[in-house]
This record gives sequence, C-alpha cells and structure tokens, in this order.
Amino acid sequence: MEIPYTVTARPDTGLYNAKVGIWLFLASEVMLFGGLFSSYVFLRIGSDFQWPFHELTVLPGFINTMVLIISSVTVVSAWAALKARRYGWYQINMIITLLCALAFMGIKSFEYAGKFSHYSVIMHDGTVLDGHPVHESEGTNGDKIAFSGVQSFSVKLDKSTTKFMRHRRINAGAGQPFAKADGQTVRVRTPSGVEAEFTESWLKDLKKKFREIENTRSDLATLRARVEAPRIRVEDMKRAVTGNFPVPFDAAKADTLLAKHASLKADAAPEIAELEQKIAEFGKSEAYKDATAAVLKLEVVGDPLTFVLNERDFGKYNAGEVIFRDDVVLTGQVQGDKIPLMADLIDLRDVKDPEKSLAWKYYPDLKEEFFKHRDEATAAFLQKKPQHANDYEENADWKRAALRVSVDKLAPPEVAKALMKDPAKAVGIERSDKRFYSNFSPSRSPYYSIYFLMTGLHGLHVIGGALVLGYFLFTGRKMYLSNPEHLANRVEVGGLFWHFVDLVWIFLFPVFYLL
Amino acid sequence: MDHSHESPAPTDAHDSHGHEPMDFAKTIRSYLKVGGVLIFGTILTVAVAYVPWMQFGVHWADTTLGLLIATVKVSFVCLLFMHLNHERGLVYKVLLFTMIFSAAMMFLFVLAYLDPIKHAILD
Repeated sequence: MEIPYTVTARPDTGLYNAKVGIWLFLASEVMLFGGLFSSYVFLRIGSDFQWPFHELTVLPGFINTMVLIISSVTVVSAWAALKARRYGWYQINMIITLLCALAFMGIKSFEYAGKFSHYSVIMHDGTVLDGHPVHESEGTNGDKIAFSGVQSFSVKLDKSTTKFMRHRRINAGAGQPFAKADGQTVRVRTPSGVEAEFTESWLKDLKKKFREIENTRSDLATLRARVEAPRIRVEDMKRAVTGNFPVPFDAAKADTLLAKHASLKADAAPEIAELEQKIAEFGKSEAYKDATAAVLKLEVVGDPLTFVLNERDFGKYNAGEVIFRDDVVLTGQVQGDKIPLMADLIDLRDVKDPEKSLAWKYYPDLKEEFFKHRDEATAAFLQKKPQHANDYEENADWKRAALRVSVDKLAPPEVAKALMKDPAKAVGIERSDKRFYSNFSPSRSPYYSIYFLMTGLHGLHVIGGALVLGYFLFTGRKMYLSNPEHLANRVEVGGLFWHFVDLVWIFLFPVFYLL
Repeated sequence: MDHSHESPAPTDAHDSHGHEPMDFAKTIRSYLKVGGVLIFGTILTVAVAYVPWMQFGVHWADTTLGLLIATVKVSFVCLLFMHLNHERGLVYKVLLFTMIFSAAMMFLFVLAYLDPIKHAILD
C-alpha cells in the first residue's frame, strides 16, 4: 500500500505528512527549551551569589551566531534551488550549511576546552581565585594529593576492590618521582605470613572464602535459633508471670514446647555438629586462615608505596591515613597536598572584609595594587552615579568593577605574565583554606550548570540536524531524478528544524553572553 | 556544476503551495536580505549590551532591548525562512496551542516563584 500525501499536500489541510509531523515536533521542542529558559530565569533571580555578567568571551559566541545565520540562509536557499530544479545550487548550499555546522561545533568545542582547563578556588571566607593549576606529571603530583611511605594497608573482604591501585606511582629516579606504575603488581604479606601478589583474582579468591565462612556461620546461627526458639518461648512465659501485666504460667503449654525443643535439638544435632566442625576446620586451614576476619591487614613486601590521588578518588584522608569509599585504608604520610595555582583573577565580591581576605596570604605583593584599583574604580563609579554615594557597596556593578580584578591589572606586565603562566611562580593553596576547587564545569555554579546544559543540548541539536541534512545531500541524487518534489519536501522539513536550532541560539547568545 | 542535461524539468517549479511560479534569483535575493537583517540585529544586540545604560538611569534597558532585538530576529526567521508568512491553517493551530501552553508554563513558573499558597497561609 502506498502512503498518501508524502509528496503532495492533503487537500483539506494543505500540508504533506512530514510538515505536519515537523511542526508538532517543533511545538514540543519549544516547550522543552521554554522550560529550560524559565529555569534560567529562576536560577538567576534566586541566586545567592554574584550572577556572572559578561564572563564568557563574547567573540566566539558572536562568530557562532553569524555562522548559524549564514547556514540558515543557505539551507533555505538549498530548498529554493530544489524547487527551481537547480541541483548544483542545492549541493553548494547544503555543503555550506554543513561546513557552518562543523564550524559551529568546532568553535563550541574550543570554548568548552577553555572552560574545562580553567580552574576556580573558592576559599572559606568567600575569596575566589581563578587560574590554571599545575597538573600532575612524572615530576610532580601537581594539584593532586601525594601520599607516600605506605608500608601497609587494609582491605575489607566484604566490600573492597583493588581499584585504588590504579593511583599508585613509582619513583623512576632522576626527577620522575611520580612515574606511572602500569602493570607492576605489589607483593603483600598477610597476617598469617603468606606472601602473594596483590591482584584482583587473589583478592577475589579471598573474598569468596570469606563469604563461604560467613555463610556457614550464618547457617549455624539460623539453625541454632530455630532449635532454641521453643525454649526461649518458655523462658518468656516464666518471666511474664511477674511482669507489669502478669500472665499465669501455662504448664501444659510449656511442657509441649520443651518437648518440641528436645526433639528439634536431637534432630538438628548432627547438622549442627557438622557445621561446627566445618567452621573449626576453616580456622585451622592455611587457605582459609586469612579469610576469617572481615578486615584484612596487608604488609607491603619491598619498598613502601606512593599514591597520587584526586580528592574525588577517596572518601577522606588525614596526615597518616587515606580511607577509600570501598573501605580500603592506606597507612603512610601525606607528602604533598597543596594546590599549585597560577591565578589570573582575584574576586573578593563575597568576602566580608576584603582587607583580610585569604587572597593576601598567597599574593601579599598584589594587595596594595588591588586596593588602589578598588579606590580608582570607586571614584569612577561615584562620578558616574553620585546618587549611590551611600549605598555603592551594595551595588553589583560597583562590586564587579572594584572587587573582581584580573592579575594583569595588579602587577607590571612581565610579573603578571609570570604569575599567570609560569609553574615556578605558582602559589601552593592549602586545602584547609578552600571550600571548593574545580574547573569551570557544571559544578562551578548554577550559572555554569545551566550554561552547559542549554548550550550542550543545543549542540546536540546542531549535530542531529547536520546528520539529517548531510543524509539528504549525500543520498539525494536518486530521489531528485525520480521525484524532485519529494526531495524538496524533505529538505524543507530538515530546514525547518535547522531554523529552529538557529532560533534557539538567537536567544541563547544574548542570554548567556551579553545580558 | 551544470546538471541541466539530467535535471527533471521544472514544470512544477512553484512555491510551496503551487500557486505562483518561483523566481529563483529573486527568492535568493530576499533570503540574503533577511540574512543581512539578522546579522545587523546580532551586531546591534552586542552593541546594546555594552552601552552603559546605568549611567542614563535605565538599568533594565540592556535586557529589554537585547530580548526585543532577539524577538525581532526570531520573527524574521519564523516568517520568512520557516514560511510562516504563508502557511496553512493547521500549522497556525498547532502553534497557537504551543503559545498557550508556553504561556501557561511560564505562568506556572511565576506562580511557583511568588508562592501565593504559602503567603495565603502565613499572612
């Protein structure tokens, strides 16, 4: 059966099938993005922090807007070319459209990469230092925590895994104290004196034995509980005679229960003996000895181990211990846990007393210049808006101008460049000073959450639209020769979606980059 | 790229509704004009965002103007690129419902923000 109205319009609606479909789809898309824009408004008016303003670089967003406008013109021209039966024109316009899509995603990736490599430290007093950290390499633990001298560690046999070992580093000598330890296993000694390679299969085997012992113990406990239940019931009855709510003792019932207990005991005796025997054997057996307790402490055979850890890799740590979420506990010493940061911006908008900000603990030399800059900014602000003479400290524009200063405005160019780019000039931020440390990912603030959510979703739309249009371009020839109007309809529908993608960006650009 | 020797004859080369024959060059020119308007609008949006409106005491101007220009740009895209200036009734009906539901959704968001139920109980 042939489906009607795929090419020609249905007389009563004046539309072909796909057009009805795409408009219904676009209607649902309007609701989707509408909801997200509302969320943006909500986050912004309800934010308990200084909402970023002009923080994104406008140029890439501006170029991307141009790119999408050009692609919108070409996609509609491609459709018009098909209507006029000019296949060459159609191809050229579609190719430009796809190149625009590629350019858009390229610029977007460039922007994202810049965000992901840029970091932010928020201190307990509200001080914000943005910049680039020194990353981990073979020579340094960078912004990670180096934990060394690990001569023993413990694992929990019902929970732990060997995953923590992937953070191990080895000293390869000559400026490479943190070389990757790929593939090298560690020899350990168990409490019973057995030496073994600490591998996943070895640990799995122990865990299996531990479970076997646990299961036997629990079988025995269950069996005993069942046998003793009638006797315990009789004990309860005896106690109930002198309770707050006395119950007369039912001697006949007690006799029955005790008889039942005796018979159960006799019946279960062989099984209980067997299980007890089994458990006793576990304790004596060499193979099962290390699996009898839940926590297994292992001594490292040979050199102590070194680990380099991200904060998210473990649960908590102190000077002598690292505790992973799977209950592996390393015993050793913290070798280095400061965050080496090359700051490029100091933001004191959320600091109660900027004079005492933690920023000056790390950048004492910039303090004087910072407040000079603040006073200049204040004077300029008050000249423009004398009406705010008494309440300027509450004004968001004043705060932005006076308390959020990039490092290159606070030092001579050479010094500033070194501070922002030279790892040797990085300051070591103490972890106890910071409240938050991350790159500019969605976790940075609700602003960046919704920025990545909306631009990411829009980017997926660009990719989807480009795939569909690319399909029409590369496979369209046959359809064009047999039924050009059908291809024109397809391109029109694909184009409608593409225009919608452009339309969303027309709002995204000012909302995130400009307003 | 001349494919005229193998192209199907443009006998039914009409606009999307098959009434008027399409003048290709004129159509492309009009699309280019709309593209120009959109680019101009984008430049205007950026310019507006950098005018120190605060100084003139109209701090709301950048947001209002920015969104207004965006709305104008979107109207151009909808009307001319998406052919909503001469579409069929069913499409408008679908879009009417979209508008109603969008407005209702925004209204719900505003209600959630104002939280009148809580205030009615507390007052």
